[in-house]
Amino acid sequence: MSTDKENMYGNHISNQFNEDLSRLKNDFLKMGGLVEQQTADAVNALIEGDTHAADEVRARDKVVDRMEMDLDEEATRLIARRQPAARDLRFVVSVIKMVADLERVGDEAKKIAKFALKLAEEGHAPRGYVEVRHIANYVTAMLHDALDAFSRLDSEQALRIMKADKSVDEEYQAATRTLLTFMMEDTRNISRCLSIMWVLRALERVGDHACNIAENVIYMVEGEDVRHTSLEDAERIVTGE
Amino acid sequence: MSNASSNIPDDITKTEKAAIKVAEPAQQDRREAAALEEGKTVGIPFCENPKFQLRNVEVSYGDTPAIRNISLDIARNEVIAFIGPSGCGKSTFLRCLNRMNDSIESCSVRGSLLLDGEDIYDPRRDVVELRARVGMVFQKPNPFPKSIYDNVAYGPRIHGLANRKSDLDDIVEGSLRKAGLWEEVKDRLDATATGMSGGQQQRLCIARAIAVSPEVILMDEPCSALDPIATAKVEELIAEMSESYTIVIVTHSMQQAARVSHRTAYFHLGHLVEVNETNRLFTAPEHELTESYITGRFG
Amino acid sequence: MNNPTSQAELVRRSLKRRYRKERRFRLYGMIAVAIALLSLLILFADIIQKGHTGFLKTTITLDVELDGELMYLTDPTDRDEMAMADFTAPILAALKAQFPDVEGRAAERELSRLVGTYAASDLRDLLRAEPGLLGTTQTLEFLAHDTVSVYVKHADNPRYTVRLSDQQKQWVDELQARGVIDTSFNDVLFQNGDSREPANAGILGAIVGSMLTMLVTLVLSFPVGVAAAIYLEEFAPRNRLTDFIEVNINNLAAVPSIIFGLLGLAVFIGAFGMPRSVPVVGGLVLALMTVPTIIISSRAAIKSVPPSIREAAEGIGASRMQVVLHHVLPLAMPGMLTGSIIVMAQALGETAPLLLIGMVAFIVDIPDGLFDAATVLPVQIYLWASSAEQGFIELASAGIMVLLTFMISMNALAIWLRKRLERRW
Repeated sequence: MSTDKENMYGNHISNQFNEDLSRLKNDFLKMGGLVEQQTADAVNALIEGDTHAADEVRARDKVVDRMEMDLDEEATRLIARRQPAARDLRFVVSVIKMVADLERVGDEAKKIAKFALKLAEEGHAPRGYVEVRHIANYVTAMLHDALDAFSRLDSEQALRIMKADKSVDEEYQAATRTLLTFMMEDTRNISRCLSIMWVLRALERVGDHACNIAENVIYMVEGEDVRHTSLEDAERIVTGE
Repeated sequence: MSNASSNIPDDITKTEKAAIKVAEPAQQDRREAAALEEGKTVGIPFCENPKFQLRNVEVSYGDTPAIRNISLDIARNEVIAFIGPSGCGKSTFLRCLNRMNDSIESCSVRGSLLLDGEDIYDPRRDVVELRARVGMVFQKPNPFPKSIYDNVAYGPRIHGLANRKSDLDDIVEGSLRKAGLWEEVKDRLDATATGMSGGQQQRLCIARAIAVSPEVILMDEPCSALDPIATAKVEELIAEMSESYTIVIVTHSMQQAARVSHRTAYFHLGHLVEVNETNRLFTAPEHELTESYITGRFG
Repeated sequence: MNNPTSQAELVRRSLKRRYRKERRFRLYGMIAVAIALLSLLILFADIIQKGHTGFLKTTITLDVELDGELMYLTDPTDRDEMAMADFTAPILAALKAQFPDVEGRAAERELSRLVGTYAASDLRDLLRAEPGLLGTTQTLEFLAHDTVSVYVKHADNPRYTVRLSDQQKQWVDELQARGVIDTSFNDVLFQNGDSREPANAGILGAIVGSMLTMLVTLVLSFPVGVAAAIYLEEFAPRNRLTDFIEVNINNLAAVPSIIFGLLGLAVFIGAFGMPRSVPVVGGLVLALMTVPTIIISSRAAIKSVPPSIREAAEGIGASRMQVVLHHVLPLAMPGMLTGSIIVMAQALGETAPLLLIGMVAFIVDIPDGLFDAATVLPVQIYLWASSAEQGFIELASAGIMVLLTFMISMNALAIWLRKRLERRW
């Protein structure tokens, strides 16, 4: 099976085709890397109250948007000129969908940066930073793994990410509950706690997007759509039973 | 191969590249051979109550085998496309379905080929009757050097389908209408058919084939000599005809197979590798050979 | 090599060489065509130069008094009297009227030799046809004697010897000056059969003989050839036997024509006891000779029918026979016809086999049936060309011209047919 995976982008009779596919893949990974960085930077800016870093994150979102448009155009051109079929088609279609996810992750990072600025202005929130740090670590790792699964065409890893999304949801539930309790205890903190809530919400969304990317990786590799299917079914597809 | 290996993604180390380079051809060959040796067709080659039931068909020219042990069902009113590289036997197989191979003396056909449960190759079977039921459209438009009217009327005439001139006129008009040609030629039915454009000629050939009201129409690369507009018209026609006919089409254009057919069969070196819903075959084929072929990589 | 300018230079130099070669090759071709055209031109010029006088006849127009006493004839309807009558006398009298000072038997004989040998019998035929002319004076046109004709037409030609005495020459000159002796279009050539007398000899007999022979040949060889070709091409299985047949047909086409003559002599005349010198046997022999070539050209024509047409008909469900009759044959017909016509033209010029079956006999009458003794154009030409009489030389050339006209028109017909029928393709 391993030779097969390396053949994903190569081995066409047309070398141009090989190059087009490789470029699309590399550009996508570059965008993924940038978005990953954005999320991490935004969370750091929030925790450290670094307004300068937060401003930078917001500014860099323009670059992310630019990359989204470029990748979409690249993919459209590839479909028009090469009429990809089978795995090539699945690859291009997945990339188009995953690019949208990455862009949304970029937007979430921007949102976090916004709240970082707000909190820096209003003063540190009394609670919630531990949870933010925790969930942020979790979802950035998921995002990283999803991109890694994409680059290595590893559907099993993609499946693990889908499973991990469940834990993120649980963590999120727990964190919101903690914050709610805290807000009820001290009403003066509601505004700042709400900001943290929004940040947590954004991070949870990042996890969802990572999960979407993982689903697309599985579609790309296995040729089966695992969205809106149970995890058990997805697992059956990936392990090929 | 050197080209291919240079395009392996950058995140693979040099040693890995070298290993792939060495291992690939041998591995590929072995896998291919093993897959073909099995003689099993992946996907969904069979269906309920088929028009054609073909089992263990083997065709050879002299000592050279062209088709090796193929089993396939062709459903009623379905459009099935045969694709595959040149020399894979798809045309040969198509021509077995109305015994067009008969005129080639060295060609021998074994296995069971049933049309509506009756053996096509039964020696008592009349090939003329068979071909009236299973019509054929060829790669190159081949109208007779006669008038448009005579071209369409030829089949009904030789089969005695029309007793009166008015009946024949009706058949000709109906066939030309079905072939989407009536409006273009109704004023010049007496003009010679060879003066028409390539696309019109091919549609005339289709009209000629449906004039004898066949049940099945075999098409051997019907659009390979046509421009895209004419191709689109023929494809449109195929879609309309699929309501009343079973259509088997051999094509070199995978896009065409994807556009017109319900099911697609992939042939490779005389084997039927995969038969699948067209939607499935072009997005997620089950067999690696199919995948390699339709994505444009081979080896 | 890697230097682009030097590479371009190399290409340019080789280009020059290539063009030179091309020009030379074209020149060779043009020379070959020129040689062919020139020899054809010389051939035609020679034949026309020698033969054009064959289309002229020399006539003597005389006012003949059909005097019964002079001819010892009272009743032209009486057969005995007609047989006994002297028809030369009135002609001589008319000639003497032109030269009143001629005296003596020798001079009279010389004078009477100016008109052709058949002048007297022509007069008899006239009187037999119209007995009422007896006693009247008629202006009649006689063919001049062969020697006179040679003198009139070829006096300056060193290849001809004029066998006339000086006295006769003088008379002829004078009669020519008076307009009594004149030349006109030789309608005799196209009205008569062969004759001992060049002035009376014609090729109508040979033309009719040729046509009858060709008719037999065509009727026999075309259907047989086409049928054989269709069978071999469309129906015969490919095996040793058909290969053998094919090889032998090709061999047969290459057999010298005289062999077919021998075969005809042995089989048709010897074994079947058919008469000699008749168009039927000639046609049979020529049919044997032409069939292989017709088969070969017909097979080529059938092979050139595009297989797509055949497939189209088969695909609709036409039977083998219908495919052949409705599609292959109509499309192959122009090719078959042209091939056959060209072979026919060749057979028209064939001499050797016909010599052997006796079509070389001297036959005066125009044949009026397939079983009537006849000769054919090329044989007639051969006969005349080998004849001693000077007058036959120009007739032979004239005959060649007639034969060539036939052949050219047949070939033209072939070309026309092909052009015309192939338009439907």
